[in-house]
Order: sequence, then structure tokens, then C-alpha cells
Amino acid sequence: MGELVLERITKYYGQFKALDNVSLRINRGEIFTLLGPSGCGKSTTLRVIAGLELPEEGKVYLDGEDITLKKPYERSTAMMFQNYALWPHMTVFDNVAYGLKMKGYGREEIRKRVKWALELVGLSGLENRFPLQLSGGQQQRVALARAIVVEPKVLLLDEPLSNLDAKLRVRVREEIVTLQRKLGITMVYVTHDQEEAMSISDRIAIMDKGRVVQVGTPKEIYHKPTNFFVATFMGRSNVLRGVVKSVSDGLYRVALGKASLYGMAPGERPGIGEDVVVVIRHEAVRRALSGEETNVLEGTAERVSFIGLALQVKVRVEEGVSIIGYLRGDEEVEVGAPIRVAVSPEDVKIYPFSALED
Amino acid sequence: MLQLRRVTYTFDVPLALLLLLTLSLFSLFLVLPLSFLILRPLTGLSLEPFLDMLRYPYLSVPPIGEWYVISERGEYKLLRLLGMNFGVVLNTIFIASAVTVLSTVIGILVATVMARYDFPGKTLLRIASIMPLLYTPFVGAFVLYKIFGDGGLIGSLMLSLGLPVAVEFAGIAGVIVAQTIMFWPIVYLNTMASMLQIDPTLEEQAENMGSRGLSLYRTITLPLSLPGIAAGAGLVFIFSMEDLAAPLAFKVRDVMSVRIVENILASGNIEELGTEVVIVAGLLLLMALGWFFAVRHYVSLKQYAMLSRGGRWKPRVFKPGLLVSGLIYFVVFPLVLFSALPQIGVFLYAFSESWRGTLPEGFTFDHFVAVLSDDNVVRGLRNSVIYSLAALVVIVVIGSTSSYLVSRLNLRGISALDALVMSPLAIPGLSIAMGLLVLYGVLFKDTPLDPYVNPAFLLVIGYAIRKSPFTTRAVFAGLQQVHKALEEAAMNLGASRTRTLFTIVLPLIGLNLIAGSLISFVYSMSEVSTSITVGSLNREQAPLTYYIYDYLTSGYGGGAFIHLASAIVALMIIVQLAAIVLSNYVLKYRYAFLGI
Repeated sequence: MGELVLERITKYYGQFKALDNVSLRINRGEIFTLLGPSGCGKSTTLRVIAGLELPEEGKVYLDGEDITLKKPYERSTAMMFQNYALWPHMTVFDNVAYGLKMKGYGREEIRKRVKWALELVGLSGLENRFPLQLSGGQQQRVALARAIVVEPKVLLLDEPLSNLDAKLRVRVREEIVTLQRKLGITMVYVTHDQEEAMSISDRIAIMDKGRVVQVGTPKEIYHKPTNFFVATFMGRSNVLRGVVKSVSDGLYRVALGKASLYGMAPGERPGIGEDVVVVIRHEAVRRALSGEETNVLEGTAERVSFIGLALQVKVRVEEGVSIIGYLRGDEEVEVGAPIRVAVSPEDVKIYPFSALED
Repeated sequence: MLQLRRVTYTFDVPLALLLLLTLSLFSLFLVLPLSFLILRPLTGLSLEPFLDMLRYPYLSVPPIGEWYVISERGEYKLLRLLGMNFGVVLNTIFIASAVTVLSTVIGILVATVMARYDFPGKTLLRIASIMPLLYTPFVGAFVLYKIFGDGGLIGSLMLSLGLPVAVEFAGIAGVIVAQTIMFWPIVYLNTMASMLQIDPTLEEQAENMGSRGLSLYRTITLPLSLPGIAAGAGLVFIFSMEDLAAPLAFKVRDVMSVRIVENILASGNIEELGTEVVIVAGLLLLMALGWFFAVRHYVSLKQYAMLSRGGRWKPRVFKPGLLVSGLIYFVVFPLVLFSALPQIGVFLYAFSESWRGTLPEGFTFDHFVAVLSDDNVVRGLRNSVIYSLAALVVIVVIGSTSSYLVSRLNLRGISALDALVMSPLAIPGLSIAMGLLVLYGVLFKDTPLDPYVNPAFLLVIGYAIRKSPFTTRAVFAGLQQVHKALEEAAMNLGASRTRTLFTIVLPLIGLNLIAGSLISFVYSMSEVSTSITVGSLNREQAPLTYYIYDYLTSGYGGGAFIHLASAIVALMIIVQLAAIVLSNYVLKYRYAFLGI
């Protein structure tokens, strides 16, 4: 139950192409996250799945059945809205019971199921409150209870944590994962917060400008970004400009001004002499060991800031080439002092220069 | 194909039926009658009625009469402003244009003062400036005649101040003065709403770049207020053309509205209705539409029905300087207070024994007693209530359906529906009345739909169509405050669109619906154009406003007829006030609805 397939979905808002040929396969029982910057089409994708938007092209299948033209109320998809969309004129009980009433359940059955759902989200005893009498976190749970009580095949969550404060956010997301595991329900989760996505997802789809640019497990996405957008969207990275000098065995030598580094091209493969962009995560840059010669950059410490666990250092290699890296928090570096930093070739990711213009 | 798929995806059966019902009502009782009104004279196989349009009384070039007359009255001179008679059509256009220009100037002036300055007495001014919108069918204009007309208060006042000249207005000049006083608040309220909606940072940015005072006003404030100004001016032009009260009070027969009404009242059946007045009513429609299309670039009908709540931000308000203070206290104040005179006068007439001289004399409740014990009036009142309630049922259906569809469905062509349901505000009621009369009088002769037999049905429909925009807009405003996700959540949980409408939307916007209905009801009760035309065709079924007209024109009720009519209108004002206060309270509007 709950295998969802999107096939070449295209959706326009007027002239604006909100979704461009989006295809996804979401397995039953998995937590699948749509991640991307605002306006990338992730919420629209969710709304297409829910039937709240009708795509111009493409098909949506749920457990093999074509549901593209099914109306929202004819699909077994329950959505949790970003602003919760709790009906202010109904009590908590009535909010949660609404979907069951629409399904035609009897009074006693409704009472039983609502009780079950409210217990599940830890809100027993608040049945007679109105939404406005609840805290943000409580409202969030009512919305969750309202969505799961109808036992949908797919649970859709549209940035469910964005209205909560930072601490509550972490706690609630753990609860959502626990709940999902308990119910074994397929869950599609939309967020723009990469940490959130990493921590809860079985798989992630990165979206940009209405297209799906990469699908994979959190580790794949983080360590093997197949294009420049994903590489720079996830985590914090140095972005440098370079020229390919030589290639052997998939290992590229790229000149960054006078210095040069060895690296890999996880996506499109550039040729020798081609302009490229080089992406190196901050945490991949470390202080070079004495005697270490390969993939070492020499320069002066231009800026040093203590950020708790680590010392963040900006190293000026030469005019126009600077690189940020982390040293251990207990190390000492003077601003202006010479410093050598190193980075492993697999952490140096090379993309065609045209990626910058996209 | 894609569009069709979108439509079938969006609608469910009940919603589609509701839309169909709304469209049929507007087609059968607005679009078709108006088309028939324009087309019927063309099928008459005779040019004669059209040639009539070029002859007296429809056209009179060169004009007849004098612009003004000065006469010696012993110690003083009497300046009598008249205005020349160019014939029915040109007179109407001339009066409407003059009234529009004057109303616009006054309206902008008062709006600027009210929107941008803070001064002692502002609240008084605000209340007084809304007073003229309390609808005083016919009687208000008669009060203005008492003030400006033959031997009126203005003349007496000038003489008692020791001036050597007394001024009085008569004929077309009097109509222009009276209508300006009645209609300028429409421009004022619309302009004011626009001004309050201007983001203050826009003006601050201009100031920051060195613009100030009049130049800031001319380059930023005024252009940004244009939608309100154009909306107000557009309405005034149309209201002036179809106004009947001022021409009646100042005894001007050669305007389109009077010709139409007199001709209908004199006709015993549809054959007796002169083709030339059908043409006149069609012309009235075309002129209103023409004017509307001329300013449509600046206006969206959304601003017609009611004024948006001003001030989402804190508006820029200043203390006036010496010059502006002078303007406020010596020009704006008298002007505004003066404009509340018709409403005050109605009460003076209603409670006084007589008002022959300069001031009313004696206090009495007799007129109220007389009116309420008059069988005709009581029957008229009962008819009006029944019709207005029946109309309200229709209004609630079309108002909620159309505003829901317009605000929620992202479909091509939905703005056409919006324009259609709001259009009655910009279409002269007399054209609608005449359209209904000819279409149903000719095609349904001697059936229950024939207005000469059974006007009640068409009256109800006429009220519903003409007064529905108020409810439509009130519901629309409510819908804009209900987040779409609340409905999506319901549909997502298995509720159909119609079910969502009833379980989620209507409970949330119930108050808006009630408030809008209240306004629609009150304006149905005081509706004039269809009431005194279609409504008059069978006395048994005539509504209240017809009897007010009857009191004033036939001398019915003896010499006290104005006092009696005023007593009815005074009661109507009280009801209107209650309804407006109540719905403003519910909707939290800062300003009243426009009285139409």
C-alpha cells in the first residue's frame, strides 16, 4: 500500500512553468523528501499528488492506479498543511473527526478513532478546545492527527515544522519519524531545510526550477552531488574557478591560478583546457600534515573565527583565490601567519563552468 | 481540451448547477432584456421613432430659454439661474457632465482633507459627509428645492445678511445643484478609500527625492488615487442620468429619466408604450456603458460595491497649516454640512405642521399617524417587505455562488462572471426596468410573466439583480480572509467542493453574508427605478417607493403631501441607519456602503 509514481509531470501557473517534466517513484513505507529552495516546485509537486493542482501533462499513479484526474476528495492522500489549516470554527475533536465523517463512519467508530489519533500525537484531553486556544506545537499535532486518522495510503507534509521554534522543531521531527515507522505509512515530506531532510529521510529528491535534479539517499546526495546546484545547495562549500590541466583515470588536475588541485567530476565530464568550477566543502579542508605534498595549498590566514567545536580559517592562497576550512578548535592560528591546508581528491568536485550561469 | 479537463476537474454537480442558475438569472433578466431593449426599436420597420430623436423635445438646437434672468424686486435684485433647454438627450448629458465635474472637484477636495489632515471637528465632518448617502427617495430633492429653488432659503438668507442680490436656482441649473449635493459623497468615499490604500512609503520615497506639497500631491497622491476617483465619477455620471427626484423637484420634464417614467406610467398596455422612449432607455444604457468603458482602464468594479477597509498601514496624517485650516473651516465644513441638509430636511418636513415660509412651523406626529393608517402605504410597505425578502433569497444564492467561484477558481473566463454579476451597479435601473418591460410585456403578453398583469415577479427579480452586488462583494471580502488551505484541507479529507462550501466556507463567512444581505435588503426596500415603473403597472402590487412618488406627483394626500412622503422616508432612513451601523459593526468596515 502506498507506492506512488509521478510520470513526466508538467505544471504551469499562467506562463510560469512550475514543474518541468518531473518523474518520481516513491516506494511504499518510505519517508521521501522533496528538498529545494523556495519556488523550486516542491510544494507544487505535493499539491499535484494531493489533487489540489491539475497538471497540464503527465500522470500520477497510486498503487498502480492512474489517479491523475481523480479529485482531491477521491484520493487516499492526506495532507498536512504548512499553516496547519485547522478550521477555527471547529473543536479539536471536530477537526480530527471531519475526514471520518466524510467517509461515513458511525458516531461510535469516529469517537474511537479520534481518541486513538489524539493519543498517538499526545493530545488526549484537549478534544473540546478550539484551535486558537492551542499553542503552535499543539496545533501542529492536531493537524497531524487529522491527517493520519483517515488512514491514508500516502501522508503528505508541506513544511510541517516551519512555524515551530528551533528546539521544538527537532523534537517534533523525531516524533513524526517514530509515528511513521509505527504506522508504516508512505510519507512525502516537503522542506527547504537540508538538515531536516538529511535527518529524517530514507530518500531525498533535490528540486531546482521545477525540475528534479537528483534523487538519492541522504548520504548519496551529500557525498556524490551529481551537479553543481546540489553540490552547493547541500552544506557550505568553497566555489572556485579553474582550468582543467590533465586527466587520468578519472582524476582531474585543475589549475586555480598558480596552484593546482586533483579532483573528480561526479557529473558531466569536462575536457582538457576547459573552464570549470571547483566545489570544496568547508569541512573537507584541513591543516596539511608536515611533509604532505599532494593537494596542498599554501597561503596566509586572512580571517580566523572561533565557532566552538572548530576554528574556521579563511586562507588566502593568491590574489582572487581564497579557501575556507576548519581546524580543530584548540589549535592556534594568527591572522597573517603562513598556513598550509590540504583536501582529499574525492572532496574536490569539478563541474562544467556553464553550471555557474544556470 | 485542457481547459475542458480543468473545468470538469474543478466543478462538482451541485456547484455546476448553482453556476448555471446564476448565469440563467443574469441572462434571462439582465442580458436578454437589455439586448432586446437595444434591438427592438431596430426591428420596427420604421425610421420615424429614430427621427423623433432629432426633433423637439428630444433635440432642441438652438436651445430654448435663458441661462439666467435678473429682475428688479424693489430694494434688491433677484438672480435666477435657469440653464437652457437643449432637448431631452443633450440636457441629460449636459446635466450629468456638469454634476460629475462638480462632484469630482468637491469629492477630491474633501477626501484629501479627510485622508491627510487631522483637525478638531474631523469626526463631525466624517459623519456629516456620509449622511448624504442615506437614501431619501424623492424627498431629499424636494428639500433641496425648498432651499435653492423659487423663494428658497438661500435667497432669504442672502437678503437677511443685507446683500443687495438674492440667488435662486430653477430648471436645469437647479437640477445640477441638487444632484451635485446628493452625489458628491460618492466621489469622496471612493477617493478616500483609494488614498488610504496608498502605501505611505510611496509618498515618503517621493519626499525623500525632494518632492513636496502640491507637487507631491499632483505627481504621486492624485495619480495613485485615480481608481477611486474614476470609480466615483463613473457612478455619479450614471446616477445623475437616471435620477428622477431632482428633475421632478425642479420641474424639469425634458430629461431622459422623466420621459421614460412618465411614458411608462401613462401606458395601460405594451402597445401604448412609445417606441421613442424605448429608444431613450436604450440610449441611456449605451451612454452609461460608453462612459464606463471610457474609464474602465482606471476602474475595477471591485471598488464599486463597497469601500475596502482603508488603512492596512498607518496612513500619513498631518496637522494643517494656516492656509489649509482656512480651507477646512471656511470651505469644506460649510460644504459638507450643507450636503446633509436633505436628510435633516426630511425630518423637519416629517415632524412639522407646515413649511411654507422660510422655516418649518409646529411639531407633530400626525404625518406618521396618517401615513401608517393609509391602506395604500401599508399595502405598499407589505409588498416591499415581501418582494425584498424574496429577492434576498435569490441574492444569497447568486451572491455566494458567484463570489465563491470568482475568488476560488483559477479558470479562464471567471473574470467575465465577475464583471457580469457586478455590472448592475453600472447599468441605469431605468434601462433594466424598460428592458424587462418590453421583453416580458411583448413576448409573454397576458401570461403570469406579463408585467402589465403581474409585475410582482419581475420586481422581485429586478431587486435581486440590481441589489445583489452588495452581497456579492461582502461575501467576496469575507472569502479573501479565509485561507484557501482551510478548504483544501477539507477536500483533502474527502469533502466535495459543495460539502466544503457548506461545512467550512459558509460557517466562516456567515457574518459577511448576513451583513451583505442586510444591505441588499435595505436597498431593495428603497429601490426606485423598477419600483415606480414596473411596480406601478398594477396598483395592488405596487411597492412602498411607488407611493412616495405618488404622494409627491399627484398631490395625493392633500397639501401635506411632502410632509407625508417625508414621514415615510424618515422611517426608511432610520432602518437604513440601523442596517448600516449593524453591518459596519459586523464587517468592521470603516465606511458605509455606497447608497444606490
